[in-house]
Amino acid sequence: MSREDISQAFEDVSVIRGLFITSMPDCLLFDSWMRAGSEWNAEGVASYFGDLARANKEGLKALGSWSAEMQVTIQSADLLIVLREVETDFVIAFVFDRETPLDVVRLQIKRVLEHVGSFLPTVQAKEQPEGVRLVEFLQRYSPDPHAALLRVALQTGIDLEILQRPESLTPEQVEAVKESARDILGLQNLEWV
Amino acid sequence: MTAHERVAAQSSRLPDHDLAFLARVPVIYHCHHFNLFLDQTVDDALGGGAGTRLRIEAAREAAYDLLANLSSAAGAVTPAERLELARAVFAAMGHGRLELSADRDGGRARGEYLHYGFAWHEKYGRAVRRRRPADSFAAGFAAAATEVAFDIPRESMDCTETACVAMRSPSCELELAPGARAPERVPVDRTASEAAVRRSFGGIGEERITTIVRALRDFTADVRGDERGLIQAFGVFMTLNVAGYYNRISYDTLMRITEVAPQSVQVLEALLRESGHVCVFNTFGGILLSPEWEGLVGPVSGGVEEIVAGCCAIGRALGFGHWTITEVEPEDRLVLRTPSTYESTYWRTRYDRAEVGRCYFLQGAALAMMQLAHRVPWSDSPKLNQEFYNDLFRKGVPWKVQETRCISRGDEMCEAVVTAC
Repeated sequence: MSREDISQAFEDVSVIRGLFITSMPDCLLFDSWMRAGSEWNAEGVASYFGDLARANKEGLKALGSWSAEMQVTIQSADLLIVLREVETDFVIAFVFDRETPLDVVRLQIKRVLEHVGSFLPTVQAKEQPEGVRLVEFLQRYSPDPHAALLRVALQTGIDLEILQRPESLTPEQVEAVKESARDILGLQNLEWV
Repeated sequence: MTAHERVAAQSSRLPDHDLAFLARVPVIYHCHHFNLFLDQTVDDALGGGAGTRLRIEAAREAAYDLLANLSSAAGAVTPAERLELARAVFAAMGHGRLELSADRDGGRARGEYLHYGFAWHEKYGRAVRRRRPADSFAAGFAAAATEVAFDIPRESMDCTETACVAMRSPSCELELAPGARAPERVPVDRTASEAAVRRSFGGIGEERITTIVRALRDFTADVRGDERGLIQAFGVFMTLNVAGYYNRISYDTLMRITEVAPQSVQVLEALLRESGHVCVFNTFGGILLSPEWEGLVGPVSGGVEEIVAGCCAIGRALGFGHWTITEVEPEDRLVLRTPSTYESTYWRTRYDRAEVGRCYFLQGAALAMMQLAHRVPWSDSPKLNQEFYNDLFRKGVPWKVQETRCISRGDEMCEAVVTAC
């Protein structure tokens, strides 16, 4: 089954509203499919659900209960969403209608997972530098995302132009950015980003 | 006489300069977006401890002048009368409910619906856990109220907020105690403002703007705190606040950063500008979209000059200064001029001549006007909420602003020029 085949298969299954493949650990959109007329922001969906899958994994590890078969199921007002990790390199978010029977959900997920390996790259994605991951995380979750880097620059004294190229941050600067991000996001810990 | 009537009776304006005063103290209306962002910027620059300290001292200084003058005008003589006056005025100005239980040696205050903490919780509380109290203004106000009530030296009472709704406490608790006396500063009152402003002038669409200002002033004359002591209107929480509070926390922070971290001055200036931007976009936009505006002025069609003129009228009515339009070229350019701003009057009174423009609110406001005039689909009656704002500005803005003239520099006017990037 190719990417095109999957899209074709979904067109025939009306209960599926969308599918988002996130490359990990950077939470970047790898591929997506949405039913015609959807106005979702695929990049945003992929990154937020990537973060969720990662947080879930860390939480399960903290409980000593993590396994590679991890699955997250979310029921919202009108959607049923299932997150599945694939080979640790990808997370797939399956988005169904809220009332979709669970056996249908399982069947559709199984269909995709059986064939998805044929088009996902086998080489593990290269991990981004910590500074890049931090800045991307901050810009996703900061309460005023347009001002996030300015705030970090003011708090840390690091030049804004350097923050705009976070791959070049020194280890000391990364620590300063991490402390600033903790303050801005109100978090105690950001070690898992 | 009710607190609202007392406030109304002591309110005055410099009519040709659109600066407002309460008991001869410069005041302005500002929304929670501005209030929270400016406080946050001070903390980002100075750190939470020093930022909180500065904000409490600035609030205490500003509130002392206001409460002393109001007590004198009202004939409030006893401590009980003065504390009651302070409580009532605080609520009438939209800052929430503050119950003071203090004497010459300090005491306690309890706050409910305090503007800063309550609004912070409403705006950010679901997304961010706050680590320090938010109500520095209330703390400074409580300290000043105690000083005025008991005729003790100004700048001598200290106040600390020990619990805050922004940190998920059920109410805000404050403790008052005598502290080290801070030095007094040159007063920035109506007399100082009259000396600082420049000869007034008009601009494009002057007649229309003047007509709208008159209608808006009549409307804002009836604005007052509700049973919570909050002013909730146009999709925002508003406060009538002492201009000196905003100016002192902005400029003291600027001075400090210039001294200890000069490489960060431009970033600080950008964030001070952003405070104005977020305010004008949300509050002015909310006013333009409101049924009250439609009733007073008519429905908004979305024309560039119409929006900019509307914003100038709102700015004048709220006491920001006599904003006029000098040039407006759709998509390309906007030039605003004013013979008065609440920022430049403060700067001229307290500091040496500036080398660059110091009206950061005016700069951010001018930029926001271009955004409102070009990037808001007015005919769709959009909701100007946080999501809309974030979506619009996540990737930056297509214009930049420069304050090319400023009364703080000795110029005859302040001039903000917005051009395409």
